[in-house]
Formats: sequence, C-alpha cells, structure tokens
Amino acid sequence: MDKDNEDLTKVISITLRAAVVVSMFFIVSGVVLMMIKGGGDGYTLAQISSYNTTSPTTLRSNLVPLSNMPSGIVNLDGIYFISLGLWVLIFTPVIVLISAVIDFVVSKNYLYVLLSAIVLTNLTVAIFYIGPYLHLAS
Amino acid sequence: MTEVMTLLKFIEIVAGGIIAGIIGSVTGLGGGSVLVPILTLFYGVPIIFATGASLISTIATSAGSAGTYTKKKIANVKIGVGLEVATTLGAIVGSLTVTVVYKYSLEWVLYLLFGIVILTSIVPTVNRGKYEGTKVVKPDFTSRIFQLQGKYYDQNQKKSVEYIGIRWWLGEIIMFFAGMLSGLLGIGSGALKVLGMDWAMNLPMKVTTTTSNFMIGITAATSSSIYWYNGFIQFYLAAATAIGVLIGAIIGSKILLKISNKDVRWVFFAILSYLGVEMALEGLRKGTFISLSGLDRFYIAIAISGILIVSLYVIFRIGEKNGQRQ
Repeated sequence: MDKDNEDLTKVISITLRAAVVVSMFFIVSGVVLMMIKGGGDGYTLAQISSYNTTSPTTLRSNLVPLSNMPSGIVNLDGIYFISLGLWVLIFTPVIVLISAVIDFVVSKNYLYVLLSAIVLTNLTVAIFYIGPYLHLAS
Repeated sequence: MTEVMTLLKFIEIVAGGIIAGIIGSVTGLGGGSVLVPILTLFYGVPIIFATGASLISTIATSAGSAGTYTKKKIANVKIGVGLEVATTLGAIVGSLTVTVVYKYSLEWVLYLLFGIVILTSIVPTVNRGKYEGTKVVKPDFTSRIFQLQGKYYDQNQKKSVEYIGIRWWLGEIIMFFAGMLSGLLGIGSGALKVLGMDWAMNLPMKVTTTTSNFMIGITAATSSSIYWYNGFIQFYLAAATAIGVLIGAIIGSKILLKISNKDVRWVFFAILSYLGVEMALEGLRKGTFISLSGLDRFYIAIAISGILIVSLYVIFRIGEKNGQRQ
C-alpha cells in the first residue's frame, strides 16, 4: 500500500512541475508576442492592459472564444498563447486527479475510486457545464 | 510609446506579484491572500480582476510547491482527494455567489470579508509548527472506513512518524467553507484547510500543510473555470501575477530555509495584519458605512495592526520563550 502511495506521489510531483514549466513557457512567449505585435486578437495594447470593468472594449476572459485557440496559436497571436498557458494551469490539477483515480482503481480501493470520481465530476461540471452556461446566459 | 508604457506597467505588476509571493510563502498564508490587497489597494485594480488573477497564481504556486512536497512523500494524496469532495463543491457555490455579488455591485462585502479572513488567519498561522507531534487519540469509525492512517519520515526528528486521522465528517464540513472562501475571494484559504485537518482531524502539522498545498490547486481550478467564463480573468494581469507570484514563492521558500530567528517572520505578519485592516476599512468605506480619506485610512490601519501584532507577539512569542526556559 505504501509502495503504491510512493509511486503515485512521484508521478504527481513530476506532472505538476512539468505543467508549470509548459504553462509559464506559453504565458511568457504570449506576453513577448503581444508586446512585439502591439496587441493581439484584434485588441490594442491599451485595451489589453485596461482595468476598466465597465468598458466593453476591455479585454477579459469571456471575450476570447476557446474555439479560436488552434488558429490563434498557429497565427502566433499573443493572447491565445497566454490563454493556452492559463488553461494548462487550470487543467494541471485535473491530470493529478486522474492519475490518483487510476491508482485507486489499480489498488482496488473502491471507496476512494468513488470519492475521486465525485471530485472529478464536480470539476468537470464546473469547467464544461456551469461556466459555459453562465457564458450563454449573460 | 504605448509599448514601452505597457511593458513598464507589466513589470510593475510582476514586481508586486514577487512581493506577494515572498510574503505569502514566508508567512505560510499563500500568495493570493497578499496579492489581492496589493493589487486593489496600491495598483487600483478592481477586486473582480484581482481575485481572478489571484486564483491563477494560486494554482501556479500550489503546483510548483506541491512538487517539492510530494517528492518528500509527506502529503497524503488519499486524505487530500477525499476532502476535495467538499472543497470543490464549496468552490462552485463560492464562485457562483461571486457572480451575484458583482451583479448587484456588492463589492464592499468582498473587501470586508477579505480583511476579516486575513486577520483571523494570522492566529492559526502564527501558531503553526508549535506542536510537532499530535495528541494520541482513539481512532473513530471514520478512521477505519476512510483509511485515515499514514506515515512519513520526519527529517528533523530523524524518525518515521505514524499517524491516524479522526472525525472525517467534521473535516469535510470545514473544507466546504474553505472551498467557498476560495471561490469568493480567489485565495487558496490554506489557513482554514490547515484548521480542518489539524484541529478537526488531528493530523500532524507537516501532513496538513503539504496536503493542503496539494488540494489548493484542485479547488482553485474549479473556481477559475467559472471565473473564466464570467470574464473575471484579465489576461494581462493574470499573466503578470502568475509569473511574479511564482518567482516570489520560490524566493520565499529559499528565505524560509535561511531564517533561523523566528522573530523575522513577525515582520511579515505585521505587513499582513496591516493589509488585513486596510482591506476591512476599504470595505466599510465602499459600503458607505464610514467616510475616510486615503491618508486617514493609512494611519488608522497602521495603528490597529500595530496594536494587534504587538499583542499577538506578546501572547504567543513571549509565552513560547518562557515555555522553552522552564
């Protein structure tokens, strides 16, 4: 049992570190691209760096469609590089959870398979249902 | 010209993030609790964007430091995952509540709540690490069902420590509120997580802090996806703070290793209590309960936090020193 736990923590620690490095790579290159090109996704640097919450031209997360991500990355658009970096971060804990679920299945610990499945459901519901629903409602 | 200005502004935020990361890591409260006050009070960032940026940096630091912790095999993944059932639910409730708060322009509630959370977190954080071993307790029925036992190797004591957790249900209840606060304020609410595991479940402090660090990322990921679709995340800010806080947290953990005199940490606690009082006062001002100029607010915050931190120092630190002498 303890042996399993050791392997699991090792995998988790490597995954977490790798994900942080990848995400920081995309965020930093996104910032560089944004500065060089003087903006991104059709927004000027002034709009990107604005804190005005009431102005419709302030660039905030709900204005960037995730479906445009692949083309944005191909076009070397800084905003989509930053978006990808941020989403890699958001997904990091999900990867950790999935590796934990696999470990619980392998060690036939069904109570914890169930508990981690509930956590995964909460996360999935938040990411794929509640968020997009709010987006449509607003 | 705008390029240069935007770049300078970016570097300025990264610097703020580094400071937040250092204070957060040295005090053990996490970068988010320091980042939001710094951004709102000194950079004039609306709290909505500050909490969004803070959530992102919370995931970054949690993932960055969980790597070092789990490598030492102290964090208990099983207990962490079990408690995440409650924190993720709480995070959903918290971040949905936030959408209502902004819809009705009740931002002052968040400022006030933030101030209260920082100030009440200081006490358990100051106390942290005081008791190395846990009380020996009789395992209850949840210890067996939820397999709350474990062991780790303690490098200071140079021996393997075995432990048994109890009251899983009470841990879950506290974790729900920890998750809710995380969703409301964009912080990791590590102090409340530690309280849930240390006080309620009787787990050793080392296991509590490392497991909480591992859990914070999952809680913050739940909230940040809801924040994302609501447009609470401002890219420019989130990018700068994620970089800054991560650098700050790395520097902070290095400083922490070098601090042999515990009194140094009190300087950071003093800064923290000042930020807490400032946030609470700002909340009262925004809610038009009091009217204060910025300078008055500064003096009052200095005075209140000064009294607070001196009395805490007298109670805890002096008591601790007397205890050592006896």
